[in-house]
Amino acid sequence: MSRLTPAIGPLLLGIVLGLSSHPALASLLVVGGGAQRPLALGRLADLALNHLALAGTGLALVAGLGGGLGLIATRGRFAALRGSIDTFAAFAQAVPPVVVVALALPILGFGGPPTLLALAAYGLMATLRGTVAALESVPTEAREAARAIGLTPCQILRQVELPLAAWGLIETLRTAFVLCVAVTAVGALAGAATLGTPIVAGLQNQNFVAMLQGALASAALAFLGDALLLAAGGLLRRA
Amino acid sequence: MIARLILGLAAAAPVPTVLALLPMLHLAPNRLVTGTPLNAATALGPWLWPVAGLSALGLGLLALGRGRGVTLVAGLACAGAASMLLIGVGAGASAALANAPPAARARLAAGAWIILILLASAVTAAARRAALPGGVPMAAAGLGGLLAILGIAGHLDALSLAQELQARRSLLGHAIIDHLALSCGALLLALLATLALGSWRRGRGAVDLAVSGVQVVPAIALFGGLVASASALLGALPALRGYGFSALGTGPALTGIAAYLLLPLWRGLQAALRAPDGASLDAARALGLSPRQILTDLRLPLGAPVLVGGLRVATVQALGLATLGALVGAGGLGTLVFDGMAQFAPDLILLGALPVIALSLAAETGLRAVEAAARRRWPQ
Repeated sequence: MSRLTPAIGPLLLGIVLGLSSHPALASLLVVGGGAQRPLALGRLADLALNHLALAGTGLALVAGLGGGLGLIATRGRFAALRGSIDTFAAFAQAVPPVVVVALALPILGFGGPPTLLALAAYGLMATLRGTVAALESVPTEAREAARAIGLTPCQILRQVELPLAAWGLIETLRTAFVLCVAVTAVGALAGAATLGTPIVAGLQNQNFVAMLQGALASAALAFLGDALLLAAGGLLRRA
Repeated sequence: MIARLILGLAAAAPVPTVLALLPMLHLAPNRLVTGTPLNAATALGPWLWPVAGLSALGLGLLALGRGRGVTLVAGLACAGAASMLLIGVGAGASAALANAPPAARARLAAGAWIILILLASAVTAAARRAALPGGVPMAAAGLGGLLAILGIAGHLDALSLAQELQARRSLLGHAIIDHLALSCGALLLALLATLALGSWRRGRGAVDLAVSGVQVVPAIALFGGLVASASALLGALPALRGYGFSALGTGPALTGIAAYLLLPLWRGLQAALRAPDGASLDAARALGLSPRQILTDLRLPLGAPVLVGGLRVATVQALGLATLGALVGAGGLGTLVFDGMAQFAPDLILLGALPVIALSLAAETGLRAVEAAARRRWPQ
């Protein structure tokens, strides 16, 4: 049970935020103003599902690509690339996600594709960097010992490096997921139907209830996913 | 030897490949549609072969060369190729627009962007490799100067981006100033808050949880939530409106951006204070240094690099987040980006986005240099 303790906080926070995005509760939170039209529950659920699907696809894409590239970059024979990867990652992160979404718009049109491209472009460097850092944190002694008892490089990776780096890899996934949820919300600006949509629309026509619902629901989604990954990390840590 | 030759050829290959495969220009009947692509031969005309040759030479030399002289030649070749490409597409654009209606636009296409990015990174890489003092900033300034000279000389006037710039010159200036003011204001606010929180010894755990919790909330959601709660507050206390409070504008933007900057600054401060090891602290106490002296003579100098590192991350984030400030009516470069998105005018988006990218990269490079200098000045 104690392994799951760190996940409880985000989980509770996520549930509370999610519940308060319910139309009835959210209208209670915003006082005054006659023109406040809360979003119906069905529409909110649709948007949340769409948001989750986009963010999930983005996460899978980014985790696969970034993790794979990170794995390659930490192999001995590509060690020379480490410096360039770090510089490149720092520069890629310096470009804000809104700008990536905006720049992808003319090329890919409105809707999901520019959001996915922004997710990939922005999340890739974070996962790549995180994977490299996690694998580098494996002590050299452990690796040397594994080699000394005659494990093949593949076995070393599976039985020594990945288990020892598991916590760092989960941390990387957590960062990537939070990033994905945030960028997907920004994707509403490119016309993707996500939880960012009521926020953007609410800002434009002063509908603060819908805006609050979108904000609460996307924050809830981020916290719930964070809790899930923290719990997964806790279970992995058993070893 | 053969491996190095292959490496050099591989480095020389991308630019000619891009020139052969991707369009250099898009010719559109107005500023809102994509238009028809023009390939390199049509767009560049007589400049095609010099660009291809010079960039292949520069990139190949950069991959092969070891000495400072070769690297400098490679960097100069890349800069020359970049300016020839710009002159070429500028001339190609004005030739293509010569018989077109006035609303027609010629905009840079994917191929031209890829080559320009490749050549610019090659020039910076050469400057870094040559290890001259101030090489990278000088290279960046050189590329910027080159662009300015070509622009003033009128070589780029036919490109759509230059036309958007002409139409919005003063607006862009104001947007950049607003953007910088917004980012610096938020950074200052976050610094003050971090220092205040840092002096609250008891609540360290709570602050830790709170500042990392903020990061989980998507920025656009936080801005939305701040505007919603500010309007609720104003609804409950209408008297506040009299004092100039408003639910939209600079207030929520500053608060929102500053909230995100707390984490890097807070982590930096905590790591900086923990930088000296126990033995040095004991030695300092044994020497009879007061806690204030330990702070100013030991903790701050030793922690300075980490502190600057936190400041660097926070500054880059502030410049990026300030783009979203336009959503809540706080101005800045986001105004241009969102206007461009609303009008579906790609060049207007670029006009807003390129300065954001340039500012972030400049902040990143500059503060990274400060960080490295601090590390040299006070080695761990």
